[in-house]
Amino acid sequence: MSPRDRIDPESRVPLDQLLETMPGGFNAIPDIVERRAAVTALFAALDVPENPRVGKEDRSVPGPDGAPDVPVRIYRPVDARADLPGIYYIHGGGMILGDIAGEDDTAAMICDEVNAVVVSVGYRLAPENPHPAPVEDCYAALGWMAANAAELGVDPTRLALYGGSAGGGLVLGTALLARDRGGPAVKFMMPIYPMIDDTNTTASSHEITDVGIWDRSGNIEAWAWYIGDGKPDQYAAPTRAEDLTGLPPAFIDVGTVDLFRDEDIAFAQRLMQAGIPTQLIINEGAYHGSERFAPEAALSRRIWAARLDALRRGLA
Amino acid sequence: MDLELAAIVPLIPDLPFDELDRTRRTMADLIEGLPTDLTGTIVEDRIAPGDPDVPVRIFTPERRGTEPVPAVLDIHGGGFAIGTVALDDGSNADLVRETGFVVVSVGYRLAPEHPFPAPAQDCYTALRWLVDNADDLGVDPGRIAVLGDSSGGGLAATTVLLARDRGGPAVAMQVLIEPELDDRLDTPSMLAGAETVGWNNVQAVLSWRHYLGGAGADAYAAPARMADLAGLPPTYLTVNELDCLRDEGLEYARRLLAAGVSTELHCWPGAFHGFATLVPTAAISVRANATLHDALRRGLGAAARHDTDVFCSPNVHYRPDGVEHVPS
Repeated sequence: MSPRDRIDPESRVPLDQLLETMPGGFNAIPDIVERRAAVTALFAALDVPENPRVGKEDRSVPGPDGAPDVPVRIYRPVDARADLPGIYYIHGGGMILGDIAGEDDTAAMICDEVNAVVVSVGYRLAPENPHPAPVEDCYAALGWMAANAAELGVDPTRLALYGGSAGGGLVLGTALLARDRGGPAVKFMMPIYPMIDDTNTTASSHEITDVGIWDRSGNIEAWAWYIGDGKPDQYAAPTRAEDLTGLPPAFIDVGTVDLFRDEDIAFAQRLMQAGIPTQLIINEGAYHGSERFAPEAALSRRIWAARLDALRRGLA
Repeated sequence: MDLELAAIVPLIPDLPFDELDRTRRTMADLIEGLPTDLTGTIVEDRIAPGDPDVPVRIFTPERRGTEPVPAVLDIHGGGFAIGTVALDDGSNADLVRETGFVVVSVGYRLAPEHPFPAPAQDCYTALRWLVDNADDLGVDPGRIAVLGDSSGGGLAATTVLLARDRGGPAVAMQVLIEPELDDRLDTPSMLAGAETVGWNNVQAVLSWRHYLGGAGADAYAAPARMADLAGLPPTYLTVNELDCLRDEGLEYARRLLAAGVSTELHCWPGAFHGFATLVPTAAISVRANATLHDALRRGLGAAARHDTDVFCSPNVHYRPDGVEHVPS
């Protein structure tokens, strides 16, 4: 049986539609600039109405030493009175794609549902800017958020990290940097189906080759671009971290039809072995990002209900 | 640890596996003290004929239509040696009320008086009986799940393996709650589990000794040893963060997935072994049970409830209380 046959039928409909218009998925577009344009167009076509309960502001904040400023978008409930918890949001895209705008609706939804100030970071992308540029940008802008908590209306003791896919890998890389450099205190982290293992050796990394969203060949290519001529240290590939103690409590979910499945299960297991409070959910029939492509599916609603519930409790 | 769960830790009695007579009495007292609400259910004890006969306890919804409904074969826990069918009365009645399914709970023989394969044979006998009597019970034989908790989870895994390898009966879903699967006791969580709440590696060593009765474990005694997991039914599996059984459950889920078996897994954070049984009113237990019932409804194709109608678009609010899974 092909892994595609294990996809939740409701969630598969938009996937099949996508693959009809874009055979092989966007990773089949060889040129990275054209690929980014296709992804941008894809998400722009979703046309989600603006949420009137959420205010947005674009800013530029200091980047790492000697590097350019980092763009951020700040989301705040329009009726916020007191300080709110803060959620630092890192978008996905395999370290090579994606931007703040591509996940604007999700960041706004989380702001609204959790009643938190969300700061979404527009880090630099590989291959133009390989590791450590993306994770250093994320760390720098997190430092800005924590240092400016008062101005942002954020309670600095209630800070969470959220990110999916490459954003999940960057959540963990940023949390490791914050731990190792004595950086901002993070109360909770939610790396969603995180991309964390550059070795492409797990069973699921061999199994998922033709689903069409994030398959083995695309993952190998993205890691090669992300690492560039450098070395894959623990901040690039958190599975390489030998010591996971001192990280914040975690929530991880991943689908059964996701090539990151096995690396994420193993990482959650190692977090628990290191004594980190961890919730892990393996969603049967979900492919990589399926809750984004099929937001109306019952499976996607369950996925989001569990995440939002965990975020609220993690930041309580 | 979850704060609501932590509050009751001092009240959990010792259940040493080297003094089984006393521990069985303690367990009986503990079961007596568990909240057991049988409202809305009809409970009947029957005998599944076999060699030997197996007592079963049947839970049926008081109000039901004429259509056959899905059924759950429930296998209680207790380290293969100390539980009784009454341990699951409350959770079985709850399951019936929440799903409208029929539950058949197995009073299998206990180790060490009856080591493997006796308990597993009894569970398999009960499964066959359930399928053979589906008409009489008002059950759709194509929609049967095998569910077990703790050692019952191990026995559920075994029963489903037996059904696969003996050519039937067909099982639509296996549900392994905090299962005890591996007699080798060499996972990191088991090695670190000398003092874990609810179940620890001292109990685990003796539990397996009682169950195996001096024989070596084969893959039907300890399903973690089964080399080939392909062809098993869709699986719902849970582990608890603070449970010495955690890593063997995660490993089994990982191997099921690698074998192409659809698997949903929940690791409950801050939770110890048996939390949902011992503290059923804690918020995390309510979430765990509601998630289980939802998975059973999805897995066995029952009419969907409408309690997930909380997410329509990014601009639609979830329930303001933030609790999506409270049973109504």
